[in-house]
Amino acid sequence: MAKHVVRIRELTTDIPKEAEILCEMMLSELEKAKRPVLEAIKCSLDNSLYNPKVGYLTPGDKRVKTELNVSSVQKMARTIFMLEILLGNLKSGAVNTKRELYYISKGLVRSNPHYRPLDFDDQPESDAIIDFIGDLLEVYREEMNCFANDRGGQTYSKNLVVTETLPDGDKAVVDLGSLGTTPFQPKNKPQTFKLKPKKGKIDFCLVVESEGTANTLVANGMHIRHNCIIIGAQGVPSNGVRGWCKTIEDQLAVPMYFYGDLDAYTLQNIYRTLKAGSAASLVRNADFSAPDVKFLGVLPEDVKKYDLLCYSVSEKDQAEARSLKKAKDALDNDPFFQDKKNKKLADILHWLVKEKKRCEQQAVFSVDPKDPQILEKIIVEKIKKGAYV
Amino acid sequence: MSKITSSSTAEYFAKNLQQVGFSSPAKAVLTTVKEAVDNSLDACEEAEILPEIFISIKKVGAGASRNTDLVEIIVEDNGPGLEADDIPKVFGEYLASSKFGRGRCSRGQQGIGISAATTWAQLTNATGVRVTSKTAKMKKALSTIVDVDIKGNKGLLKKKETVDWNKPHGLRVEFRIDGRVQLNGDGGLLTYIEGTTLVNPHLTLKYALPDQDDVDVERVSQTMPEVPPATLPHPHTMKLGEFMTHAGLFGKITLENFLKKGFSRVSDVTLKEMVKKGLKKALLDKSLTAIAETDYKSVYQLLQDVELVAPSTRSVLTVGEEGLSKSIHRLGQVDFFSVVTRKPRICDFKPVVVEVAIARFLNRPGSEGGEEPIQLLRFANRVPLQFDKGACAITRAVESVNWRSYGINQPKDSLPTGPYVFAISVTSPFIKFKNASKETIDGSEELIEEIRRALMQAGQKLSRHIRAESKAADLERKILHIEKFGPILVQGLARIIGAPKGRVAKAEEGLKKLLGRDASSAEKELEHAESQLKQLKAKQRGGGSDDEGGAEEEARPHAEEAAEQEESKSTKTPAKKKKGGGKAVMTAAAAGSDEEMA
Repeated sequence: MAKHVVRIRELTTDIPKEAEILCEMMLSELEKAKRPVLEAIKCSLDNSLYNPKVGYLTPGDKRVKTELNVSSVQKMARTIFMLEILLGNLKSGAVNTKRELYYISKGLVRSNPHYRPLDFDDQPESDAIIDFIGDLLEVYREEMNCFANDRGGQTYSKNLVVTETLPDGDKAVVDLGSLGTTPFQPKNKPQTFKLKPKKGKIDFCLVVESEGTANTLVANGMHIRHNCIIIGAQGVPSNGVRGWCKTIEDQLAVPMYFYGDLDAYTLQNIYRTLKAGSAASLVRNADFSAPDVKFLGVLPEDVKKYDLLCYSVSEKDQAEARSLKKAKDALDNDPFFQDKKNKKLADILHWLVKEKKRCEQQAVFSVDPKDPQILEKIIVEKIKKGAYV
Repeated sequence: MSKITSSSTAEYFAKNLQQVGFSSPAKAVLTTVKEAVDNSLDACEEAEILPEIFISIKKVGAGASRNTDLVEIIVEDNGPGLEADDIPKVFGEYLASSKFGRGRCSRGQQGIGISAATTWAQLTNATGVRVTSKTAKMKKALSTIVDVDIKGNKGLLKKKETVDWNKPHGLRVEFRIDGRVQLNGDGGLLTYIEGTTLVNPHLTLKYALPDQDDVDVERVSQTMPEVPPATLPHPHTMKLGEFMTHAGLFGKITLENFLKKGFSRVSDVTLKEMVKKGLKKALLDKSLTAIAETDYKSVYQLLQDVELVAPSTRSVLTVGEEGLSKSIHRLGQVDFFSVVTRKPRICDFKPVVVEVAIARFLNRPGSEGGEEPIQLLRFANRVPLQFDKGACAITRAVESVNWRSYGINQPKDSLPTGPYVFAISVTSPFIKFKNASKETIDGSEELIEEIRRALMQAGQKLSRHIRAESKAADLERKILHIEKFGPILVQGLARIIGAPKGRVAKAEEGLKKLLGRDASSAEKELEHAESQLKQLKAKQRGGGSDDEGGAEEEARPHAEEAAEQEESKSTKTPAKKKKGGGKAVMTAAAAGSDEEMA
């Protein structure tokens, strides 16, 4: 069991101590027959602030207060039950995923009939409690030794060397150029990296929404012909991918570009999360966002210039209507898109709402069906001409 | 060119029996029973006799047609009986009716149904109906078989005999037809019997059905429904053809007299108005027989243009809230119920009254908490409507009400669910049906709105019961919560900080005090809800409506109460609250980028 867990940040919060203070407060309030109140940051869009100088979404002043009453007693009992498990993990150095914690809690309930009322019906119930504890203590779940499974972030480069400091102090050096067809993938848990180019300076880093399209670019040799880093995001970027992009941005200071679909989901859920974090993770956006990532495409101007095939978005189709609504909501409520600095991104959302179209990242392959390198050529041309937002 | 022949009314119906309810073997049995019972009830009411009806249905062999049984249907009443001369007209002649176009809310109207049943018997079993009749004047009863002379549209009597019958008066009909006995479901005999029992509190019904114990249902009202006098037709409810046929009944009188005597709401002022609008005065003095068709048309058109007072609502008959309240208990073990009889209204220029009874039953499908749709009983002039539910104005009205606000589950745009019976009765001398078999009411928006209002009033009354239940459940849940989660919370806190046992005991005590406060406030709410319920029950026992001031005036406050209740339900139901309590956090987390479902 790993006793020395790597930290994401210099944590100022002593979690066991904070937890004890919280529990002490609750118990003494109860002794006085007073209702304890739990307070957590409100992690939602209406409590998100965006300052382009900061670069990511930060929490506002709103707090979620949970006062003990007949309706909340179950949630409070579950919170304390889960907190005890997490504190036990921190003490022993054990780590778990949310799903494992769900089963651990099920096991405890089964072994002790006293706990039966706390039983979780399904994982979303226990996940919500874990998130609530994170928000209460204002700590990352990773800081409570609760890690997500690895997803996305497969990275290819001929000129990148990664040095990882392991929990026991050993160092592992990975030359990405020597991995052949195997990608380097960041873990969805804290890792300590030192990045440097093998020689000179890396020209750019490209994050592609589709893992498959990133693989195509690599298979066709883009990373050989160009001094670059190519990353497949695999949809909405996981914490691992977000943290990894931030590390690249901080340590290598290379221009970073994102290439994905032209639709509201990609802009708000994927690109905005990568660049400025999400409303759900307001307490950890500082370490999980790469504010300098540019939106390379697909841009509305690309649709016109390359005559790209688009899908019409029908308001009759429920999913598509939702996507349109999402674009409108983002314009009305998302501080990221409302900021003047991101006017051009907001303009793309306006275009989507007005034109009722969406264009997929792979549509570029229709420009010259006989040229397998067409996407690479267009991407490089766009970077050279500064055709990005 | 082929020769054009004319056929009798009986021939037409004999070829088109499916149009009048004989479209399948199961429907044939139901329609036969229904027509016989309707006639018995109408006859008893006409003669002011409290009806006592006996129904017997037996399978007596195989039917001549494929996949049918030979079914014997007997319906016997204590009505006035029929004179010998009337028997062939009633059972063997189409469109021979004492009720046609009389503007009364009788069950039968056109004189088709029972003749069609005789025809069906004749077509499938080669013999018509055996009728035994005894009027108060007869010493012995007359027993005979009636066949339909299909070519001549008249009834033929066979095997006439006089028999002893120990009843002072009455009528007994025996059919043997090809059919199938369907007891349950919307189109089942039991549904018909339940419905007929419900809207006829003054009826004593005895019945013997196949594979069932014999059942006696005693009357719960000793009062005959007051059958309002017939009213003259209102000109705005007629079409040109009907107008001219109506004129044909009046012979040689003048047009002026015809308009004044043949219609309701037509006065001298009306005629002056018509003259102003262009009616030739001379025409008013002309005899009806001398008026040309084109003149009839212009008179009709002018009459439609003149503003008339709406027809009288006095001709509409109601079952009444008292009768419905008593009658509903004959359907089973009632948990609670509400009944509403609306005041007669004019819808589409026709007088209409809507009555609603909603009851929750114990031991019905859905009483175990399942999601079965409610049982919907529809009535037109107190006759159950059992087919083509989806197209009926009543069904549309039920679906359009938001039952969730009254505490009843309802999938979107559908019938509500639960162990409820919704009985909705529309009574009017001029009900518009979608077809000749009178299975569905063709509803205008005006009629649907009127039904909706009645339903909402009933829903409001019902929600008081449901709210009392919800309060009781709330109290129970709160107490249960305290007992379940309190000690776990306190012990968890104590373990984390290593608190001694003394502190644990003190905190548990404190927690009980805290949550006990919530429980006591729930107890107060429960007391309040129960006292309201008691008041309502007292009124129901009294049999009167508790909102005689009119539905519209009361609708809003009740709706608000219902909405409040809905709100309190959604915040207090344990399962919902459990998820709702953490929703802000959960939603935010789920929207994040690090979902981790295996």
